[in-house]
Amino acid sequence: MYTCGVDVGSVSTEAVILCRDNKDSNAKGRIVSYVIIPTGASSKDAALKAFEEACMKASVSKEDVYSIVATGYGRINIPFANKNITEISCHARGVLNYFSGIKTVIDIGGQDSKVIKLDGFGSPVDFLMNDKCAAGTGRFLEVMARALEIKLEHFGEIFTKTNEKVDISSTCTVFAESEVVSLIGQGIDKNKIIRGLVYSIVNKVISMVERIGLEEPVCMTGGVAKNLAVVKALEEKLGVKINIPEEPEITGALGAAYLAK
Amino acid sequence: MGFAENIRETLKIKIQKNLNRDYIEKILGIVGSWPVLPVYGMTFASKSDKYLNIATIKNIKKAYCQKYPVAYGSLFLPYELLHSLDLVPFLPEVMAGFTAGIGIADKTLKEASARWYTPDLCTFHRSASGAVELNLFPLPQFLICSSLACDAAQKTFYIDAKKYNIEDNFYLIDVPYNKTADSIKYLASQLEDISTNISKKMGKQVDMDKFKNTIRLSNEFRYWALKVNDIRKELLIYPKNFNGLSFILPFHGLAGTKDAVVVYKNIYFELKDFLEKQKGSSGNKKSGSNIKIKQDIGKTKRILWLHLKPYYKNNIFEILENNNCRVVFEEISQVYWPELDGEKPFESLALKMLSHPLNGSVENRMAAILEMVRSYRIDGVILFAHWGCRHSNGSARIIKDTLRNNNVSTLILDGDCLDKNNSSEGQILTRIQGFMEIINSEQS
Repeated sequence: MYTCGVDVGSVSTEAVILCRDNKDSNAKGRIVSYVIIPTGASSKDAALKAFEEACMKASVSKEDVYSIVATGYGRINIPFANKNITEISCHARGVLNYFSGIKTVIDIGGQDSKVIKLDGFGSPVDFLMNDKCAAGTGRFLEVMARALEIKLEHFGEIFTKTNEKVDISSTCTVFAESEVVSLIGQGIDKNKIIRGLVYSIVNKVISMVERIGLEEPVCMTGGVAKNLAVVKALEEKLGVKINIPEEPEITGALGAAYLAK
Repeated sequence: MGFAENIRETLKIKIQKNLNRDYIEKILGIVGSWPVLPVYGMTFASKSDKYLNIATIKNIKKAYCQKYPVAYGSLFLPYELLHSLDLVPFLPEVMAGFTAGIGIADKTLKEASARWYTPDLCTFHRSASGAVELNLFPLPQFLICSSLACDAAQKTFYIDAKKYNIEDNFYLIDVPYNKTADSIKYLASQLEDISTNISKKMGKQVDMDKFKNTIRLSNEFRYWALKVNDIRKELLIYPKNFNGLSFILPFHGLAGTKDAVVVYKNIYFELKDFLEKQKGSSGNKKSGSNIKIKQDIGKTKRILWLHLKPYYKNNIFEILENNNCRVVFEEISQVYWPELDGEKPFESLALKMLSHPLNGSVENRMAAILEMVRSYRIDGVILFAHWGCRHSNGSARIIKDTLRNNNVSTLILDGDCLDKNNSSEGQILTRIQGFMEIINSEQS
């Protein structure tokens, strides 16, 4: 028997199928399959598609999945889900699969960033979310990468090429994009701009971490955890090691699958 | 949508389409007339809402009908003073809440913006100022505000006074920071001076018998409010749509009136009935005689709500209820002042103002919150951090830290009470749901 977690984010939707077979202790709690697809215009459609693809990938029929939990910003209107639970609880539970005793989760997704304080046993005790704009989120980095005509995945490598940075003063993503275009026009080294952009996002996250109170061990989840530049800058600024799950993007969906009863 | 909601929705649409003072006066004249008003009152699901809405319409109609002297008042005034002077209070900040409720806040805020009211000013004051600029509010003879807690009215009321060419009838009551014998004396003398000055302008003398009667009614209201608050220490099932955050006027603009007494007396008897039904059904999830108990009472999480709520259409409280959480008390429902002395009205009212938890040090507010947490056995506290509200939001840090030290979870919920475009519905929903999940996991 299986459970499924579907995390409907603003940029991508993830589905995880989890084996919950009590008879087979080796298989119980094993991730049978997962998929990551773009959310697109309809969160309902994306959720269904992700669920169906995850079932297909796992060679599991939909009927064998006895409970589905939806999470993420699009969690409310997923008709086939048995329950919806916030990303806060799902990320808290999801990180337990990879690391024990985590006290702080930094989740940076497409349109929001969160810092979640945990009790060390997978339950959230407090959290903070970014305000209603895209500053400090994955979308900010995406827009900037497009302006710089550099692939996002190359940020990590470029980040290490220089220790110098130019400060990006604009908070607003649209204004920051103009600022970046202007800096390129002035002939400023793109590597320095990238470093400046990374610190811009990191500083916003750090202010949330400081407000909630940093406690180790720390884990980072969400799509931006794949961006090595952001991870390195966060480690440097916070002075701690940041644990990254094997596939950070599915942490929310995985937690949802665990919380499905 | 039921018949009653249809009537109210139709009235809203009519006002939205005919946005001017005369039309509002006309609508109030019809709805507030006998026997329409009692019939309108019957459209509300509970007695509490019925009497509140009847009293509200009656008093707003009185302010619009142009037969009585109207005084604009800021929220934290001792309204016993205005009633004793035969002034009809009109509270622009409270009326700003109505602009959101009837769906015209986007227009009033837009007007305020066009008149250079900056967007970081609280929307209660911006919307009220926009309504004044659009000539939606009744014409005042006086404008009275205090320096208690909120500082925006001191500025916006003066701008209003200039618009109406009555700068000489603008009064500001300076409320001292500390509650001492000297500060009571200082504040009482201001209240007395204002009373004398206004009476003189109205061509009469201060009527001390009137003050005595108003103070008597204020004390009577206090008696019933304390009884209501006492019942609420146990009560978990409420009349349909009951929301303690709606009962601002009895504590403010109606203070010292028979209407406030009637509203709270009726709330008391209605809630008492519910408490009896709750006791009779404890442990039984099924319905009582005429009260359906949906939730499992034993598992209901008890929430204390700080500051105000969004007044535009939203489903925050429905979400809380659906997740087995109930707002069992609100900061604004606290009876924080001692019984007033009719023989010393000015000193009594000064003491009432100085006793307000939002006056003076943040420690005063914190002490009041901790008392509410204890009395109402609170599981979690939600502070609605209304955009631009310095006096409330400035305390957020100390509230969260102090409550954490007392093992009570707190959610600082950023939002806007009036401007739905200044709040992200999805983010508010996630924050509330996440907070409820934390409370539920703590207790399990």
